[in-house]
Amino acid sequence: MDTIKVNDRNTAIKYVGQQLSRFSKEYAAVFAILIMGLVFSFMSPYFFTAQNIKNIFLQCSALAIVAMGQAFIILNGQFDMSLGQCVCFTSAVAAYLMKIEGINPWLSILVALLLGCLVGLTNGVLFAYFKIPAFIATLGLQMICRSAAKIITNATPIARLPDDIAFLGRGYIGIFPICVIIMIALYIVGQFVSRKTRFGRNIYATGGGAEAAYFAGINIKKTYCLTFALGGLLAAFGGIILMSRLDSVSLTNGNLYEFDSVIACVIGGLSLTGGKGKVIGALFGVIFLIIFFNGMTMMNIDPFYQDAIKGAVLVIAVLLDVFRNKRSK
Amino acid sequence: MNNTILQFKGIGKSFPGVKALDNVSFEIKKGHVHALMGENGAGKSTLIKLLAGIYTNYEGEIYLDGELLKLRTPNDAQKHGISVVHQEIKLAETLSITENIFLGNLIYKKGLVDWKEMKHRAQAMVEGLGMDLEVDMPVNQLTVAKKQIVEICKAINHDCKVLIMDEPSATLTEKELKILFGIMDKLIKDGITIIYISHRMEEIFNLANTITVLRDGKHIDTLPVKECDRKTLIKLMVGRSIGNEYPKEEIDIGDVILKAEHLTRKKVFKDISFELRKGEILGFSGLVGAGRTEVMRALVGIDHLDSGAVYLKGKKILIKSFQNAIANGLGLIPEDRRQQGLVQIAPVKENICMVGRNKVTRHGLIQASMEKDMSKHYVDKLDIATPNIETEVQYLSGGNQQKVVIAKWLLEDSEIIIMDEPTRGIDVGAKSEIYRLMCALVKQGKSIIMISSELPELLGMCDRIMVMHEGKLVGEMAARKATQEKIMELCT
Repeated sequence: MDTIKVNDRNTAIKYVGQQLSRFSKEYAAVFAILIMGLVFSFMSPYFFTAQNIKNIFLQCSALAIVAMGQAFIILNGQFDMSLGQCVCFTSAVAAYLMKIEGINPWLSILVALLLGCLVGLTNGVLFAYFKIPAFIATLGLQMICRSAAKIITNATPIARLPDDIAFLGRGYIGIFPICVIIMIALYIVGQFVSRKTRFGRNIYATGGGAEAAYFAGINIKKTYCLTFALGGLLAAFGGIILMSRLDSVSLTNGNLYEFDSVIACVIGGLSLTGGKGKVIGALFGVIFLIIFFNGMTMMNIDPFYQDAIKGAVLVIAVLLDVFRNKRSK
Repeated sequence: MNNTILQFKGIGKSFPGVKALDNVSFEIKKGHVHALMGENGAGKSTLIKLLAGIYTNYEGEIYLDGELLKLRTPNDAQKHGISVVHQEIKLAETLSITENIFLGNLIYKKGLVDWKEMKHRAQAMVEGLGMDLEVDMPVNQLTVAKKQIVEICKAINHDCKVLIMDEPSATLTEKELKILFGIMDKLIKDGITIIYISHRMEEIFNLANTITVLRDGKHIDTLPVKECDRKTLIKLMVGRSIGNEYPKEEIDIGDVILKAEHLTRKKVFKDISFELRKGEILGFSGLVGAGRTEVMRALVGIDHLDSGAVYLKGKKILIKSFQNAIANGLGLIPEDRRQQGLVQIAPVKENICMVGRNKVTRHGLIQASMEKDMSKHYVDKLDIATPNIETEVQYLSGGNQQKVVIAKWLLEDSEIIIMDEPTRGIDVGAKSEIYRLMCALVKQGKSIIMISSELPELLGMCDRIMVMHEGKLVGEMAARKATQEKIMELCT
């Protein structure tokens, strides 16, 4: 134990409460995943099979990468509502360039990644320098991206992409899908960046208290811009993985990812007010969401109900967050 | 005794593992201003929360007018005539004065809101307090002092018997304070009893009839203000005498380290020139709004300067941003500790290392072990009371929070530290620790600029004092030769 000095009586109890809430926050999603997995295993014979578990992880990969971007932005105290359409737009550009224009697939992907950065950076600049609320700015970009994706694809799917990039979404190393390995590797890097680098700490500090961060000499505008740009980059990357996995880009790619990623972050214990939680929480949140819907499909629940259930999960997760914050105060 | 309005009998309140109040018994007389004193964490606010119906589970009994008081909600408290004016103003900023006064308590006529009646009553209430305010005005156009008056109106709107005022004076200027005190006089004449909490002792001696001192959750004493002086009161609160309140030491003052020439920011301040020497504590005095904070903000690159020059060790420097100022060895401890001083939800260690990140960074990565060592070092050195370095700073007391802010700049090793109201809202014991720290800093050859609205602390701690009034420098004097009267004369 660290040396404990308590002269303020209240500090001691507050501290215990804090530790409890921290513990429940960090591991709640993991517990939920385990319990849910157990329940579904009992209810459906097909749930706990190697094939299904592989499927779940495959489905996680793209969303999880996008959700990591959202996690950085939420830690920074903001939201990005453009991520889903950024996925669609950037991968549409990549697919168009490699399939229709016949440009080198890797160059096409590079262009898409840069575009993702640019979309994010635009969000960041609009928010940080022009003081447009992030929700509005990103909503604007969402529509622009949506429209751009329609124009590029002419609203018809671009399918059967070059084989060079197939391994990204459909390749395996041994029994492990490459996209899942990429996802996990990215989360390890992301978690590391968020805790160990100056940039990561600036995100936490700015999200925890922008004014205080400013008065500690942190360039908060730059931090916002970089974070949004990172979000856009990860969205584009997630889009590429999704494109390769499905071997096509259509307007449904990335649809509603902005919401799903926020839900995942909340389930993963990230505080919506910023500055609290772990990047890796978003991964747990995504796994939870995917298992949840996988299980419901297995149990033959009408897909039409699934959005409503998703909405309820979001509200409950936020309620838990509010409740936890209350208790720790 | 029939003139007792409130009686506390054996009040105890426990939180898991801690006794916040322990067998507290005392009485409050009708029509008195009863001061509640004690350091942060002494139990004042817990007691207030019992009385306001926020905590409903406690030991012992409270009697109001001889009847046992059992409150279940804050609303209950209001129904019994107990109202609280909180330290932080809680008004609906965009609504009018009238609406705020009647918030949650609207008057209806035939099922519809009766604006006419409410406006009429609001006007009468405001005038009754001797104020001239347009009750249709949105609250956000009012000064802090006037907002406080609206808060008081809101509180006394419910047939109030006992009014609890929690540090109402913390952000008011001298002039505004006088108005507030006038209003309190009127309230007392109307038969209202006031429970008053403040850290400013001058006020207590001018205002209160009786003082109750709490320490560590225990009732220490209740005594008439006449039988008490400043020294006794401090001793009662802290539990020991703190010797010299201002531990200023004589040290050798060195060369000019910082020189500001003709600093001007249009419509904010004009032609501000001063020099700061190595090892010196330079005070800035003036009323709230005199432009002191603004000068410092511009000096460190937060706000833009229209003209003027800054010299550091004789060399002219151009400070383009706050980051730039930090790189030049300047540090700023801002006025608003909660919002600007600290990231409340971040742990102590992250706050301490937030400025001096490069001191805990190797190979471009922040080293957890170095961060831990550095934070521990400063927690020990500044005697910061915290369970450990992982605790979020929001759980520390005001004095300890301020020490964390100071630790930030110590780690960065800034040569010049600007402190804006460094002891605001901090209790006596912690204040003298902050003063001691300041002394230790200048002894190490650092220089301090201190902005303060508390004249005794400026006189006690500074070497020289600059006086500002309405954006201009109106005087400079050696602290030894200065008096409160001289300064007040200059800045009003």
